[in-house]
Amino acid sequence: MKRWLYNPVLASSLKTRMRGWRTAAAVTAYLGVMLFIAYIFFKISVENGVMYYLSFSSSRSAGLRVYLMLAVLQFALILLVTPAQTAGVISSEREMQTLDLLLCTKMSPLSIIIGKLLSSLAFILLLIISSIPLFSLVFLFGGIAPEDVAMLFLFYIITAFAVGSIGIFYSALFKRTVVSTVVTYITIFFLGIVSVVLGAYMMSVHYSQVPSPTDHYIPFILYINPAVGLGDLLARQAGDPTTNVYYGILGLFFGVSRSLGSPQGWFQKLPLWIGNSAVISGIAVLLLCASAWVIRPYKRLRCKS
Amino acid sequence: MLVVRDLVKKYGDFLAVDHLNMEVERGQIFGFIGPNGAGKTTTMKIIATLLAPTSGRVVVDGIDVFKDPIKAREKIGYMPDFFGVYDNLKVKEYLDFYGSAYGIEYRERRKIAEDLLELVDLSDKKDAYVDTLSRGMKQRLCLARCLIHNPELLILDEPASGMDPRARAEIKAILKELKRMGKTILISSHILPEVAEICDSVGIIDRGKLVVQGSVEQIIQRMTGRTVVRIRVLRDMDRAISLLKEQPMVTSVIQEDQELEVACKGSDEDLWQLLRALVSSDVPVVSFRKMEGNLEQIFMEVTSDEEMAL
Repeated sequence: MKRWLYNPVLASSLKTRMRGWRTAAAVTAYLGVMLFIAYIFFKISVENGVMYYLSFSSSRSAGLRVYLMLAVLQFALILLVTPAQTAGVISSEREMQTLDLLLCTKMSPLSIIIGKLLSSLAFILLLIISSIPLFSLVFLFGGIAPEDVAMLFLFYIITAFAVGSIGIFYSALFKRTVVSTVVTYITIFFLGIVSVVLGAYMMSVHYSQVPSPTDHYIPFILYINPAVGLGDLLARQAGDPTTNVYYGILGLFFGVSRSLGSPQGWFQKLPLWIGNSAVISGIAVLLLCASAWVIRPYKRLRCKS
Repeated sequence: MLVVRDLVKKYGDFLAVDHLNMEVERGQIFGFIGPNGAGKTTTMKIIATLLAPTSGRVVVDGIDVFKDPIKAREKIGYMPDFFGVYDNLKVKEYLDFYGSAYGIEYRERRKIAEDLLELVDLSDKKDAYVDTLSRGMKQRLCLARCLIHNPELLILDEPASGMDPRARAEIKAILKELKRMGKTILISSHILPEVAEICDSVGIIDRGKLVVQGSVEQIIQRMTGRTVVRIRVLRDMDRAISLLKEQPMVTSVIQEDQELEVACKGSDEDLWQLLRALVSSDVPVVSFRKMEGNLEQIFMEVTSDEEMAL
């Protein structure tokens, strides 16, 4: 491997993580939860007559429902698992008293942070890949193409990157893993709820001021919430916005706004999920740089030689 | 090799390091001695580029560590007083990991790791998991770790603390071997006699200040103002005592069986004059030994008097 691509923290973590039973048990538990919930959902749908296999269109609808359910479930699990994977990576090094040993090597603080993040993301990627067989069940029903699933998985990775960087940042900021983990979960929950509530409020104010709105307005705050990006992506994949589940839930915000005229500005012309991915990735990069700054042992500006 | 000039480290109003100056020659073992909380670890962390000072300058082999910390790290091997080890990592993988963190190529670091494990006598443990090693073994492994990039200056913060006498002896033997290899070693301890026998010179730090620096003998002489020699004579004990008392540099003579404990002022030159006086008077001297002073007592005296500086 080329030297500039080689990250010792990542290489060591990849080597040691798969040792023992913990990782295998974690993957099994993760898939077990997904399978269990998917089975319950499927069973209830069939028993209630929501799903039946008499025609092509009903099969497509059933496939779509299963897909949407799995997509949201996996998204929720990623939001749950990623902070647990990242919020202790630096603080645990401090707790184990190994951080100083790392910082006095030739590795820069940023490469240590990147190595830690990538090793956590590698685990998330393993979970995502291991769920492919479950997602492939959707292909039995039809209605969803493999490229849709690939796009969804790409969005998962971007989400994990963004959420992971929040965990890493708090892990660098706080000395204790417990504190950084709790604060990471609180931040994610707070951002998720506040951005949607604030976004809805801003939209309602905007459209109430315009008697017959013709513009396409999406408040920027919605771009920081990956759930909104997921909603947009799934809505696009599901097709008809008037009949699928997502527009029923999230149409209040962007579904309605999209039906109102054409978007203004190049950024808003982008699909919402792509704009959302770009914004959360940008924030993630800033947080990673801030994390590297926090753990940087030697702050030149402080020293008066 | 190491020059520290006017180093100051403040934590709010607390002065952890107070205008500290010291120099360590290349190839020397320098004992950095002081009671707990004296500022040893803070100073060592600053030298190891892990902590920014409030002011001052540290130069390692001509490199200003504050201006070029990355380059300075190539010259420094740091072993902290407390350190942890990773789970799930074998001894050889542990060294391989740190070798890669120092940018050493895979084949080269494998060879270096084997040599270092041999040096610290852990070759037979190379496939053992690090967290299963005893404390003494972990200390030796950490010593090997800080040698992985072949640094010229080793900063060892209390490397023998909490170890049994056998493990201490092993560490001392390794340090002697490293000195033979030409390494410069800065070693801290809160017990002066513990490191005195392996150190070429020592510095005693108290409340952030380096209160005394020099060889162990120099410090003893400066602090007590005298040298003690034990002289064994075959016969003519009374004549030897009266002859010794006549010498101007002798301050006291105490007889213990066939040995005499003689306290005298002055340098090694004066001791030689003393021995020559005895031999030229046909006193049958069979043993003439310069005694080390009571290091413990000196350490206590130095660290209890804030104003004592040489």
